[in-house]
Amino acid sequence: MAKNKKGFFLTRWFRRAFMGTDQEVRDIMQEEQVQTPFRTMARNFFAKHTVQVGLCGFILVFLFVLIGPRFWVLDLSEQDSTLINLPPSNNMMSIPAEMKGKVADIAAGRTYGVGLDTEGKLHTWGYTKITDKIDIANIPDDVQNADIVMFAGGDDHVVAMDDKGQLYVWGNTRLQQGNFTNDMKKAMKAGGEDWDIIQLEASNQFSAVVSSNGMLYLWGNANVADIKLRKQYQGNVAKVALTSNEYICLLKDGTVAYTGYKDKGSAFAAIPETLKNTTVKDIASTSGTVAAVTEDGRVIVWGNAKFGEKNVPDFKAPVKKLQGGRFHYTAILENGDVVSWGSNKYHQCDVPASVASGASVREIYVGNFQNYAVLEDGSVQTWGLKGFLLGTDGLGRDLLTRIVNGGRVTMTVGAISVIIATIIGVLLGGIAGYFGGKADLLIMRIAEIVGGLPFIPFAMILSAVIGSRLDPTQKMYLIMVVLGVLSWTGTCRLVRAQILAQREMEYVTAAKAMGIKERVIVFRHILPNVISLLLVSMTLDFATCMLTESSLSYLGFGIPLPTPTWGNLLTGANNSVIIQQYWWQWVFPAAIFGVCTICINMIGDGLRDAVDPKSQER
Amino acid sequence: MGKYILKRCGFIVVVFLILSFLMFSLYNLIPTDPARQELEPQRKALKADEYQMLYQQLRKEMGLDDPLVVRYLRWMGLWKDTDGTFNGMLEGNFGYSNLYKRNVVDVIKTPMGNTIFINIFSTIAALGITIPLGIFCAVHKGKKFDSVTQVVTMLGYSIPVYIIALVFMYLLCVLWRVFPIMGTKTPGAEYANSWEEFVDMLYHIALPVIVMTFGSLGGMTRYVRSSMIDALGMDCIRTARAKGLKEKVVIYSHAWRNALLPVITSILGWFLAVFSGSVIIENTFSLNGMGKLYWQGLNNMDFELVLAIQMFYSIVSLVGSLLIDISYGLVDPRVRVDK
Repeated sequence: MAKNKKGFFLTRWFRRAFMGTDQEVRDIMQEEQVQTPFRTMARNFFAKHTVQVGLCGFILVFLFVLIGPRFWVLDLSEQDSTLINLPPSNNMMSIPAEMKGKVADIAAGRTYGVGLDTEGKLHTWGYTKITDKIDIANIPDDVQNADIVMFAGGDDHVVAMDDKGQLYVWGNTRLQQGNFTNDMKKAMKAGGEDWDIIQLEASNQFSAVVSSNGMLYLWGNANVADIKLRKQYQGNVAKVALTSNEYICLLKDGTVAYTGYKDKGSAFAAIPETLKNTTVKDIASTSGTVAAVTEDGRVIVWGNAKFGEKNVPDFKAPVKKLQGGRFHYTAILENGDVVSWGSNKYHQCDVPASVASGASVREIYVGNFQNYAVLEDGSVQTWGLKGFLLGTDGLGRDLLTRIVNGGRVTMTVGAISVIIATIIGVLLGGIAGYFGGKADLLIMRIAEIVGGLPFIPFAMILSAVIGSRLDPTQKMYLIMVVLGVLSWTGTCRLVRAQILAQREMEYVTAAKAMGIKERVIVFRHILPNVISLLLVSMTLDFATCMLTESSLSYLGFGIPLPTPTWGNLLTGANNSVIIQQYWWQWVFPAAIFGVCTICINMIGDGLRDAVDPKSQER
Repeated sequence: MGKYILKRCGFIVVVFLILSFLMFSLYNLIPTDPARQELEPQRKALKADEYQMLYQQLRKEMGLDDPLVVRYLRWMGLWKDTDGTFNGMLEGNFGYSNLYKRNVVDVIKTPMGNTIFINIFSTIAALGITIPLGIFCAVHKGKKFDSVTQVVTMLGYSIPVYIIALVFMYLLCVLWRVFPIMGTKTPGAEYANSWEEFVDMLYHIALPVIVMTFGSLGGMTRYVRSSMIDALGMDCIRTARAKGLKEKVVIYSHAWRNALLPVITSILGWFLAVFSGSVIIENTFSLNGMGKLYWQGLNNMDFELVLAIQMFYSIVSLVGSLLIDISYGLVDPRVRVDK
């Protein structure tokens, strides 16, 4: 029953002047409930609560999946060993409240930070778990009790030194991260000049200290890193910069040298010509590149730059100090500006405007993907990777990005295969229903066979046999076709049954009497009467096709990795480690997929009830 | 009735032949050369022309150059092999598994037993739960219990079975540690007798069966419920009630027999869906069943094994449809008259 809306009187006059009183006549008709069947259907449809919930849910998921990929862009080659299996978090740069305004020193590690407050207490934040058992946040008591003066965070361990020169290592120490070399132990015991440490660094399973008399000591896992020092450089080192498995040194005479044993085999050994005639005052490193700051404040980068580390921007002033993350550099200029460049995937280079220029920055600290700028007033500004909203998977990929993009693939495949199935079903069903006889017998027998085949095994063999020579995109089309070709039988039967019923109706007889072609009668006269039921079956089939696609992908015979779908996100989730420890890797894809299919089924059920009033009694 | 069954049997044989021929042709699309594979170890030792001669000879022996139809009939065992004997599927030779280096028949035996066991087990369990539940919901239509069941069954058929499996695994295996997470027997177990072995297997199979049953509950319950509601609305029910029959008799004898007809037709669908679904379940739980074997065979390009299992699935579906037809005829007298 439509409400008699009067509206603003001018509008009413306007309407009456230009459109006549037709509107009011229609209003009377509406009050007498003269409605087209479609309007009745629509009203019944939208009146149901389950339908409202289902529609809202589906539209939300659909928009999320449709618009999401614009914000979370999928990178198929994405992977990062330092970001694997991270739980959902948003606290990688949240410095604890008790440290606010009292920051003395910060060491930014892989996904965590370690900070020292002015009272000499150590704090940790971010994702500190290295394995199930090892947690950086468990700071040993003797470290808390000692007066820590210097510390550094590596990929999986933290090194700290107290005022007496005693070194502490915690975190993962299973790979010799805590085994000091004999030279070090000797020097540590002797103390004095030999153990007057000026720099402490930690990296991927190895660490380094430099003493004031130019001695460099490296220790850690020698299997992953080149942590030996050529004898001629010992006693001559001013600063060290660690990459993920090598290092370079700034010597006391202001030159840069690759002092390890790999020498020619290393990309860092090829020190640029431009550095040969100038004095270098600072060095820094990312995981794959090293950078040197010359005396006049220029920055020169070399090594394996994969993410634009070499695109050094034009500075407004000479560079004062340089720090390297995993794929980016951050520099403070002489005029106090802060500049970041390199990979900006996690916004590591989006320096906040308040820090970028005009702020009095006391110090910057750079972790793998995090940046901390401590201002003169003691406040800390951060930029970079805060965390992953839904965690990461076993290859360090952001799960949210994969869920959003996977949903798009799953929905596309589902929709297209439903369209294919409907086209085949309507054509064959129409022919079988209207013409009957031999065509009917043949088509129904075929439908019986195809419908009787065990679906998943058959789709698997088609995908495996035909798909073995296809590239991933073609395979996606193949899956659509296979699903469409195997699931048309339901639609076919429905259309046939409907047409059999409609064929005997008067309007068909009338159409025949008027000499209309049979083909036209089937597809232009009868089909529109069937379309509402068809819509129901399409909606329900859409959910089924999505389910089947995801099952196939889950088994590894659907859309191949690394293209994500809601099915293959769950591949390999059936082991106890993932189920228990990395719950986010299966809970989130499963949840959104479940919600989506439930909503679609709710809509489909509601639609069926609306179309077929008899079923409403059920 | 007998004529009708014969007709259906004939139809099924024809369908099986068509299906198997399609599968065989599909399999032959894959570019493999067994003769070359066979000769590969000796290749270095032979000269080029010698190798070529041997290769051609082997191809002839294996009958690789014959037309597709001949090769198909040989594989089925309806045509003389190159050595003059019948040696195909009908004679019990299902081929040789490259993956297991054994005859397919030997490879398939145990998994087939396992698969049939869990499928029948879970189908019976599912029917045992859904039919009473569906009838109850139909009789108490619109009550609270019915509404709750409607929502739960909606969840059941909307969520893919592997997600249900993951949730059950999390709850029952990881959180409460009631069931083992995968496999068909305790690793390294020594059994005193076959009874113990059987109990251990049941213990391992319990969770997959529960998940499969749960996964098929949704659709089945809804179907039973709606066909029961239709039957309860029939005139004969009103007549029965008017006669003063007990409500129990009305529901279970009069209404249920009418509701049974549509239910029986869809049992085939359920049964096949269960078989289809068991591929997923077996892979999720690493059960030694046909589905797992099928998956392994496809992944390792062991196509003789895959083809044999595919035939098994086809036979299951065809025999299933035959059984449904026969039982349909038994339940509904009109079918017998009709055909």
